[in-house]
Amino acid sequence: MTKNDKEQENLSNWKKSFEKETKKSDAEDFYFSTDEEIDIKPLYTKEDLNNLSFVEPNSLPGSSPFTRGPKASMYTNRPWTIRQYAGFSTAEESNTFYKKNLESGQKGLSVAFDLPTHRGYDSDDELVKGDVGKAGVAIDTVEDMKILFKDIPLDQMSVSMTMNGAVLPILASFIVAGEEQHVGRELLSGTIQNDILKEFMVRNTYIYPPEPSMKIVADIIEFTSREMPKFNSISISGYHMQEAGADNVLELAYTLADGIEYVRAALSKGLDIDEFAPRLSFFFAIGTDFFMEIAKLRAARTLWSKIMKDFGAKKEKSLILRTHCQTSGVSLTEKDPYNNIVRTSYEALSAILGGTQSLHTNSFDEAIALPTDESARIARNTQLILQNETGVTKTVDPLAGSFFIEKLTDEISKKSWDLIEEIESLGGMTKAVKAGIPKLKIEESATKKQAKVDSGDRVVVGVNKFKNPKEPKIDVRVIDNDKVREDQINKINKVKSIRDENLVNESLLKLTNAAKENKNLLEFTIEAMKHRATVGEASKALEEVFGRHFATSLSVSGVYGKHFDKNEDFKNVSKKIDSFGKKHGRRPRVLVVKMGQDGHDRGAKIVATSFADLGFDVDMGPLFQTPKDVAKDAIENDVHAIGVSTLAAGHKTLIPELIDNLKNIDPKSKIIVFVGGIIPEQDYEFLYNNNISAIFGPGSNIIESAEKVIELIIKKNN
Amino acid sequence: MSLVDKILKGERAAIAKAITLVESSRENDKQESKELISKLILNPGHSVRVGFSGSPGVGKSTFIESFGSYLVKKSFKLGILAIDPSSQLTGGSILGDKTRMSEISKNENTFIRSTPSRGSLGGVSFGTREAAIILDSAGYDFIFIETVGVGQSEIMAANLVDIFSLIVGPGSGDELQGIKKGITEYADIFIVNKADGDLKLQASKTAADYQSSLHYLSASETSASKKVMLVSSLEQTGMDDVTTTIQEIISINKKSGIFEKRRSDQLAYWIKEEVRNHIQQKVETGIRENDQFEEMINSVLTGKETMHNTIDLILKKLMK
Ligand code: B12
Ligand SMILES: Nc1nc2c(ncn2[C@@H]2O[C@H](COP(=O)(O)OP(=O)(O)O)[C@@H](O)[C@H]2O)c(=O)[nH]1
Ligand SMILES: [Mg+2]
Repeated sequence: MTKNDKEQENLSNWKKSFEKETKKSDAEDFYFSTDEEIDIKPLYTKEDLNNLSFVEPNSLPGSSPFTRGPKASMYTNRPWTIRQYAGFSTAEESNTFYKKNLESGQKGLSVAFDLPTHRGYDSDDELVKGDVGKAGVAIDTVEDMKILFKDIPLDQMSVSMTMNGAVLPILASFIVAGEEQHVGRELLSGTIQNDILKEFMVRNTYIYPPEPSMKIVADIIEFTSREMPKFNSISISGYHMQEAGADNVLELAYTLADGIEYVRAALSKGLDIDEFAPRLSFFFAIGTDFFMEIAKLRAARTLWSKIMKDFGAKKEKSLILRTHCQTSGVSLTEKDPYNNIVRTSYEALSAILGGTQSLHTNSFDEAIALPTDESARIARNTQLILQNETGVTKTVDPLAGSFFIEKLTDEISKKSWDLIEEIESLGGMTKAVKAGIPKLKIEESATKKQAKVDSGDRVVVGVNKFKNPKEPKIDVRVIDNDKVREDQINKINKVKSIRDENLVNESLLKLTNAAKENKNLLEFTIEAMKHRATVGEASKALEEVFGRHFATSLSVSGVYGKHFDKNEDFKNVSKKIDSFGKKHGRRPRVLVVKMGQDGHDRGAKIVATSFADLGFDVDMGPLFQTPKDVAKDAIENDVHAIGVSTLAAGHKTLIPELIDNLKNIDPKSKIIVFVGGIIPEQDYEFLYNNNISAIFGPGSNIIESAEKVIELIIKKNN
Repeated sequence: MSLVDKILKGERAAIAKAITLVESSRENDKQESKELISKLILNPGHSVRVGFSGSPGVGKSTFIESFGSYLVKKSFKLGILAIDPSSQLTGGSILGDKTRMSEISKNENTFIRSTPSRGSLGGVSFGTREAAIILDSAGYDFIFIETVGVGQSEIMAANLVDIFSLIVGPGSGDELQGIKKGITEYADIFIVNKADGDLKLQASKTAADYQSSLHYLSASETSASKKVMLVSSLEQTGMDDVTTTIQEIISINKKSGIFEKRRSDQLAYWIKEEVRNHIQQKVETGIRENDQFEEMINSVLTGKETMHNTIDLILKKLMK
């Protein structure tokens, strides 16, 4: 018997034992198909390492293709950077919070801006009344930026900024704030997200249409590669895609396809690839599929090095994918929230085993509000414990050589590569994004995930199984929107009263002209911000030339319903809806809306498509509507109900305004209003007192929600 | 105040309720709807109705947003009826046209109503004609009707409006095929959309193709000649051209009497259409509710009775 025969015999013995233990005739019955449609087998063996397409199992960390890590020493020399994303209310409050965190062991800063800032509106703009300081920190001028980094030496602290839409005025303000702290731009270190493609796909804080937006991205890559050698010019982000519902293949493929597009944009500026490639950085989400996430990070590095070689990069450094990771917020639940600490710990471990360079861990109150000091402390400690107590830093890429991990890395690489080629065949990501294809695919994936949870096919502890009969009461961070807005308006007025109006206007005019003449816009924006133009003014100066982008969105259809083919609950609700239709001469009609600058549209889109599958006529409003727009829309279409989806904490301002506007147009209106999304429990009473008929929080089962809605409609229309 | 008075005053909620009424499939509503429409017809407005037809995705809604904002800037009042192709799977639908009309929908001078097509012969839905009458009485200057035009429904859509336009995308050979099938007979203008970016060249080519096919088609002597226009709804170019063309066509057709003649021809068309509908419905409910028919049909199958005799018998029963 040869060695090979012996191995075959062992394997078939294993199969027999497996089948005996499980009482199934075939081990293949135990294959598990993941969201990515990769089959996970009960056993992997040496055989699985034959014929790998991308992975070279004998490669080493720190050299091409970097599957095993960007550095030879990885965490053995220096652990990953603990970088918690945070920001809220005013610059003063956020600054205090940052300083406390740095004292407690956090290593890098990561700024979360509020939605008006993201979208290029000043805090005093009527359009953003409900959004100032609510979901991030409000920055209107350089003065705010200086307060944000007060007593934080910018030549020592690396600062990451999640900014994409208003990237020019924000990066410019940061540079000016540095200068006024006597830190030259060449000394600033950190990252600007500057990834506009995924904004059009999932994050929704774009300002200008795709083409001028891509020009701005390239301007920033050009500028930073020449003047800010320590600064990452872009953070190419898949994180938001997964959070919006993408499976890991969609996330990985679209992120790398975005990367390809940015490289092309930079090359078109005449830059040499090795000049900017080392400053490209990445950002991925780490969800609950433990091994898949590890494989994804290894695959990402493998594929990127290939992509960059194909582009003709010569420096070894240009081939390296360095990444930040964040544990998944969407895997965290409002119900039984302490479970989230456990989920986040596993996800963090996954990120570390995958070899991330820095990490954000979410707080357990993720699905309720922005973190409190206490929940943020536990989130940070999750990483400190990993670094200091578990020994995970002692060995580089410890899972290498695992038949399973290597095979999985190869499979996810292969699937992603095919998808990248598909995008390339459409002419690249800018075109694909304009056609709306990636967004639609992500929404389809999100809808499937929802159907799996709602049907119980996927267990979420504390939500659809093992519920806690006694939900704990927890503290919640509350932000007084009116007060923050007032403070910001006062600060804007003060800046405006002492600045030199002529200099401001002149520099803004120059900025507009530079946009017309296709010049690099960052230096002109720096000039304007230095003279204390506001973020809104600078954004408007560019809007004059570029226009504002309005997204058109497509909707998936039939995906949710298909999953419930033979489900009785689904059928029963459908029947109720049908019989209402027969009785009233038309189907029940629901308008699903987003108001204010809140761009979280995953829930709204899923609910809309599922409700339509159940038999409702669903009107889908565009993003960024005002309460007044919504009321007009609802009345004109004579809908039975409005479902407001609100996640960015604008509800206490926007909902009462909606109700007032409805009454203004039609005092006798019978339209029911209900709300879904992130609503802390202490706001329930306020909403009910404001004529809200029902509230559907995170984790709501859509079929149950639909039943409640149709019953409310029936009651109201009898 | 009665519903009619409220509509005449232009009250938004009343207009909306009235449209619900005329679209309703409930018997009582149908009766009320007839009464309402017969009253409104006595109070006509001055609106011009323009139809926009074309395959899904060619940019009808986006064009209406773009062209519409151009018109409202000139202080015109604009009513829009968008027939959204709806999902057939369960009967529910997602009405997404308004996500394309986010700017004009904010404007006080617009009224935008989406209706699920509900599979009713493609484009025009049940009640669209009546809805246009309501908007006319309510004082709108223009009424736009967006339909997904295919085959037969094209004719119905054309019979609802004073000006019928076909929107096509760059390189849409399919629609050119359609020209031969007679769409041009109905379309007054052809709008080639998406003349921007990479598509610009192809769009101009498509426009030229249409232009040359038009040469082969004889325009009637009295009506304005058919026009081909090149626009980009995204970049809002070509909108002046569309406006002038529409105004020209209206004034030519009004002078020649074609405008009025079309309206009376359309009335005749709808009378026949209504009669046809009623008979069809009567037949269908008759067949559904009368078990005797099954037996009668069976007697043909078993050879007890001849087919023609049975048909005559059934018709007699149904039509009495
Ligand atoms: C996914 C996500 C994102 C994605 C959004 C992708 C997208 N296109 O939607 C990304 C990563 C882009 C993102 C970005 C941001 N996010 Co976010 N995000 C989340 C997260 C993790 C999950 C939300 C989600 O989609 N859940 C899945 C869907 C299916 O659930 P859902 O929306 O809750 O809907 C369910 C129910 O609520 C209900 N429902 C909802 N709507 C409706 C409507 C109707 C009609 C009905 C019947 C039911 C219903 O039914 C649904 C099914 O169960 C939440 C935290 C959390 N766990 O909830 C934070 C969260 C909402 N985000 C937050 C913040 C701050 C942001 C940012 C503003 C950060 C910043 N400063 O830059 C940005 C900006 C985004 C923007 N443009 O608005 C905060 C908001 C804080 C607050 N409310 O006080 C949260 C709460 C996290 C936190 N604790 O800090 N985010
Ligand atoms: N490039 C380009 N795209 C357009 C234009 N008009 C519409 N579109 C796009 O075409 C798609 C379909 O548009 P929509 O108005 O919904 O088409 P409809 O189904 O005919 O109403 C959307 O993605 C629009 O953004 C245009 O003028 N140029
Ligand atoms: Mg449309």
